[in-house]
Amino acid sequence: MPNLQIRQAIRDAMAEEMARDENVFLLGEEVGHYNGAYKASEGLLERFGAKRVIDTPIVETGFAGVGIGAAMCGLRPIVEFMTFNFSAVAFDQILNNASKIRHMTNGQFGVPIVFRGPNAAAHMLGSTHSQAFDPFYAHIPGLKVVAVATPYDAKGLLKSAIRDDNPVVFLESELMYSVRGEVPEEEYVIPIGKADIKRPGKDVTVLTWGQGVPTALEAAEMATRHDIDAEVIDLRTLRPLDNECILESVKKTNRCALIYHGWPYGGVGAELIARIQELAFDHLDAPVLRECYEDVPMPYAENLEHLVIPSAERGLAAILKVCYKA
Amino acid sequence: MAIIVELPRLTDTMEEGVIAQWHIAEGDKVKRGQVIADIETDKATMEFESFDAGYVLKLVASEGDTLGLGAPIAVLGKKDEDVGDLLTALANRAAGGAEAEAQEPAKEDAATSTESAVPVEAEATPAAPAEAPAAQTLDNGRIPASPLARRLAREAGLELSQIEGSGPHGRIIKADVDRAVAEGVKPKSADTPKVATASSEVDEHGRPYATHEDTTVKLSQMRKTIVKRMGQSKREAPHIYLTMPIRMDEAAAARKQLNAALAEQGVKVSFNDFIIKAAAKALRVHPRVNAHYTPDGIIEYGNAHVGMAVALDDGLVVPVVRYADQKTLKAIASETRSLGTRARDRKLAPAEMSGSTFTVTNLGMFGIEEFMAVVNPGEGGILAVGAIKDEVVVEDGQMVIRKMMRVTLCSDHRVFDGADNAKFLVTLKGLLEQPMGLFV
Repeated sequence: MPNLQIRQAIRDAMAEEMARDENVFLLGEEVGHYNGAYKASEGLLERFGAKRVIDTPIVETGFAGVGIGAAMCGLRPIVEFMTFNFSAVAFDQILNNASKIRHMTNGQFGVPIVFRGPNAAAHMLGSTHSQAFDPFYAHIPGLKVVAVATPYDAKGLLKSAIRDDNPVVFLESELMYSVRGEVPEEEYVIPIGKADIKRPGKDVTVLTWGQGVPTALEAAEMATRHDIDAEVIDLRTLRPLDNECILESVKKTNRCALIYHGWPYGGVGAELIARIQELAFDHLDAPVLRECYEDVPMPYAENLEHLVIPSAERGLAAILKVCYKA
Repeated sequence: MAIIVELPRLTDTMEEGVIAQWHIAEGDKVKRGQVIADIETDKATMEFESFDAGYVLKLVASEGDTLGLGAPIAVLGKKDEDVGDLLTALANRAAGGAEAEAQEPAKEDAATSTESAVPVEAEATPAAPAEAPAAQTLDNGRIPASPLARRLAREAGLELSQIEGSGPHGRIIKADVDRAVAEGVKPKSADTPKVATASSEVDEHGRPYATHEDTTVKLSQMRKTIVKRMGQSKREAPHIYLTMPIRMDEAAAARKQLNAALAEQGVKVSFNDFIIKAAAKALRVHPRVNAHYTPDGIIEYGNAHVGMAVALDDGLVVPVVRYADQKTLKAIASETRSLGTRARDRKLAPAEMSGSTFTVTNLGMFGIEEFMAVVNPGEGGILAVGAIKDEVVVEDGQMVIRKMMRVTLCSDHRVFDGADNAKFLVTLKGLLEQPMGLFV
């Protein structure tokens, strides 16, 4: 089985879907001649031509809107944001057009579009280029939100996202494009809305996604030295959430910690905790805790940035606390 | 600058208090010395006078709240001052203090034995904390337990109060319930006298008995104090009991004459007043009985301050007749009537309920002939007084009818022995059987 980087898995997913369906096309800044800011579209211009791999000017509002209009006309655009930080400029397009058109037109128009790109803090990009957009988009009815952490998931989920008849926000990570993993040669898709147990365990449920996945897995390994067998669940889809998988695990372990790269206030973590306390109240033996960014703007200074981003050690501390071993 | 009003120590032995009633509302202007609340303490309901002046910006505590000493109850400041940050800080403080509050039960047990504000005892160091009860309780009486532990305990038929919590702040968690089940804590159905259901128990005609629910009465501050002090006394003091019959014919005659003489002044002397006076005089004759035990030595009190137990609806208090040996029966009568009335109205000041060196308790009015009482911590003895009734007794070989009363001296054997008791009772008997001694 080929061992690929996440950027290659993303490229392969787009290439396969463009080959499969001529309505699929890619647009964004530097996606063509430069092969993508993070080389996630390498070779696509050469293979599919400039009509289907379109380099845009630096106007996110404009090309997001162009993509939405094309989708309403029956095409299946993939809009790459160089980073999701720039999607803030296109927020109105996503919030008020992409997610609302099907509703506003009583189903006459759909918006089968994918907005994809790296999300959340990378390394020393400062506060305005380290935003975690998960909660902003997961908040919006009418959108689907996916966050990937492995090449296998990235490929299978991106193919599902491209085929989906609704707008999908597809969150990647700048720091994880070179993460490697095995990806089958034969075609496969992963359904949106299904979480994945990345590490089975019985003592505590650790919920995570995106950049949090490696942090959580490392914390879970460290927890074994404290005789704690943690189950790490990668949500993979933030909207709709896989309630079934989450609740089944929490009901088994009776404890839950969240480890993710994002801010605490009103975030996806808060939504998870709300659901767990409502749907698994009588199964909880400890309060559900979250380990995430500190509630401050992301600092530029490297030492401070390390303090804000959750480490595996901080994840372990949360695990120990919910296991009453802290 | 806003001022946080904290729950003050209103009695020497107070460890917590209940806001019985607020006399101020948010927005009111408060003067220094103004009564702002009634606080129910371990002894009485006290008026709390403000130490500060200002506008009431916030009432942090509500009526009925049980709070520890120093707990914030209100915020005073300038009119319309913004105290949002301060209130947030207070809320955080309350959250941070949860751990300390969980220790509260142990702290309560550590109280000294000196509710009577006995001078020597007041300086004594607190006793070591006693073993904590099985389950911790929060201020509102709720036992902290995880939702899972609650469900498991419910399914196992266990009361949370039977389970010791090992989680943060004493929280009962699944492991604790599992342990309780493994250790064989009995399900509540086995030891709770729940009334039978109609289907299972019927009378001889097959008709189901009426069922009545058990009720749990919350412990009042007074009840908590009684629990603590009576338990302490019975645990620590080996009690001995000596009962003496006393002929009360002469005392009855003297009382009749005395009350006739005092009728115009509206004073009525009771038998109990005679007994208080007689006991006080006897204490001066036998100072060993007017004493109490400390590890450093037995304190023989110089003065005879006699406490009188007064029953209330939900407990009892012991107001004190000070220097009872030196007061006239008339003075004692006026004082006991006033103390009794105010005790029932919960208007006694703590000073009026502290400092007794000996106690008289009387159940004669119920027809009780004799009984045994528990020594108040800080004292060496308590005189339990029964009813006066006509009895046939033998005098000089003849059966005669006499007004007989039995008193039982209940005492701490660490302080004095049976013979000391007996000598005191002989003196007491003499003073009551020939009561002229009470008038000199």
